[in-house]
Amino acid sequence: MADIVDIAVSNDAFKTLVAAVSAAGLVETLKSPGPFTVFAPTDEAFAKLPPGTITTLLQNIPQLARILTYHVVPGKLTKADLAKLGTVTSVEGSPIKINCEDGFEVKNATVLAADIDADNGVIHVIDTVILMG
Amino acid sequence: MVQTSDKPTTKIPPSKHEFAEIIHRLEAGGSMLPDTPENLMQIIGIYKAYAVPMDFYWRDLLYIAERVFLDPLPAFKYFLPQEYLDLHNHYAGDDADLRIWRGVATAHPELLAFMEKGETTKMPKIFHHLFHDRINMEFAEACMQAMLWHRKMYAPVNQFDAYLDSEEYKANADKAIKAYFRKNPLMSGLYKLFPDMFLEQCRMMSYYSNLGLFWEVMAPVFFEMSDIYDEGGFKGVPDAMNFLINGIFAIAGRPIYHHVYIDGECYEIIPKSKGFTWLYEAALPYVEAVFYRTAPFRGTKSYNAQAGQVPADQKDFHYGILYADVFPVGTAGIPPTLLMQDMLHFLPQYLVDYYQEYCRGEEDILIQLGITFQRSMYNVTSAVIQALRTALLYPLDDENPKHLQANREFFEMQLNRFTRTDYNMRDAARLWDIQRQDYR
Repeated sequence: MADIVDIAVSNDAFKTLVAAVSAAGLVETLKSPGPFTVFAPTDEAFAKLPPGTITTLLQNIPQLARILTYHVVPGKLTKADLAKLGTVTSVEGSPIKINCEDGFEVKNATVLAADIDADNGVIHVIDTVILMG
Repeated sequence: MVQTSDKPTTKIPPSKHEFAEIIHRLEAGGSMLPDTPENLMQIIGIYKAYAVPMDFYWRDLLYIAERVFLDPLPAFKYFLPQEYLDLHNHYAGDDADLRIWRGVATAHPELLAFMEKGETTKMPKIFHHLFHDRINMEFAEACMQAMLWHRKMYAPVNQFDAYLDSEEYKANADKAIKAYFRKNPLMSGLYKLFPDMFLEQCRMMSYYSNLGLFWEVMAPVFFEMSDIYDEGGFKGVPDAMNFLINGIFAIAGRPIYHHVYIDGECYEIIPKSKGFTWLYEAALPYVEAVFYRTAPFRGTKSYNAQAGQVPADQKDFHYGILYADVFPVGTAGIPPTLLMQDMLHFLPQYLVDYYQEYCRGEEDILIQLGITFQRSMYNVTSAVIQALRTALLYPLDDENPKHLQANREFFEMQLNRFTRTDYNMRDAARLWDIQRQDYR
């Protein structure tokens, strides 16, 4: 099986995410044994952000890394696990609300594909970049 | 020509909130401020008048945070050296990180002209200062203090504040404090005796830096809005609000830090690598501290503990611009007077002509422009509310009624801040007033 980074790289829907993760120097972390739960926004999710947001973040790597680590939760949490927890704390430090009442929503994002298994964790694909607050 | 629809444009039943009309307007992508050409003209004019002194404020705040630092007798802290007037704004000019204003990166020409001549005539800086013919920098410091005194806001999302209490911060500050007083045995001795006294001053300096970096963004945003308006680019108040929302998102990730320069060496008390951002560590705490809370005006509230006028809990403070009574501006004990006086020097002609037609014309211009300023800050707050909704909730045209309901609840929760009955908050809030054109 492949790790979280390999899965993202092999999929064409995550070009922006992969570029951002490598710019932020988080590749090694996400290749480590972990395990991690990653909420992976698609390219379309990044495209929904207003203009300039990504430009500023790419100029400021620690700030970019902070937004990205908000999408990562320690431990391997499947949809079933997340539904039980309700709220999880991200690696960034801020809480993320999970709503599984109908469908599967992570904060204000909808999960497009859940429970993609990786060597060092699990990936849930989301349609919106989630932000702290 | 108020373009507010009574009917909600959304697919959920109408709101029953007492501000339902405003909530429906927000749901239709509007502002808390009604969309009239008169309102647009007022708010843009005042953004311009605010941006010029703000160009001084942010430069001087950074100068104090980075150079004056812990000077025990900072008599000349408002005497901005040339270096800081020439400092390039990161969001204006040709070499900008992200160009917001098409104008110059150095200090604004109108500001330089005012610093040279003031309201009187050309004379050395010290005389301008002593005759009080100057920018009221004390206002900027009062805003900084509001942020400092209302710490612990937005935790855990705001990480800047918690960092000020960390061991890492104390170690960084210690290095800078020791270096700063290297040649001053008296102050070094005092630091050994009372380290916390100096550390707290250092935290205050970090807030100077925080606010300076916040306003470094807002000044070019307001200048650009004024230019766009002059070119006929804004069609209504929502356009102006949307420009602010886009600005908020574009700059959200800029770093917030505190660097101190001592003998040509840079001490990173709060390094950029901590990942602190403009949105979470500066903008949101600023809005809460300055627009909503600040401190009770000495001229309108009694601090008498028995009288119970001033809330015991800081989260109930409601003395920001959104609640301010602007009519006593110009009298004793009303801090915003300082800002109104600063903006007076830089009003565009169309706004001066407008004020002359109403109330007492030029006689009460400070009050009239103060109320305009209040309108404009309701529009800025609307932009913040819409930006938060964009970031944390759902698009206004979302198909899912549950998502629309979540947006509705968010808007209602925001407006509930203006309806609370404790401490007469609801009477203080000016949201109803700004709906009326004859509130001036």
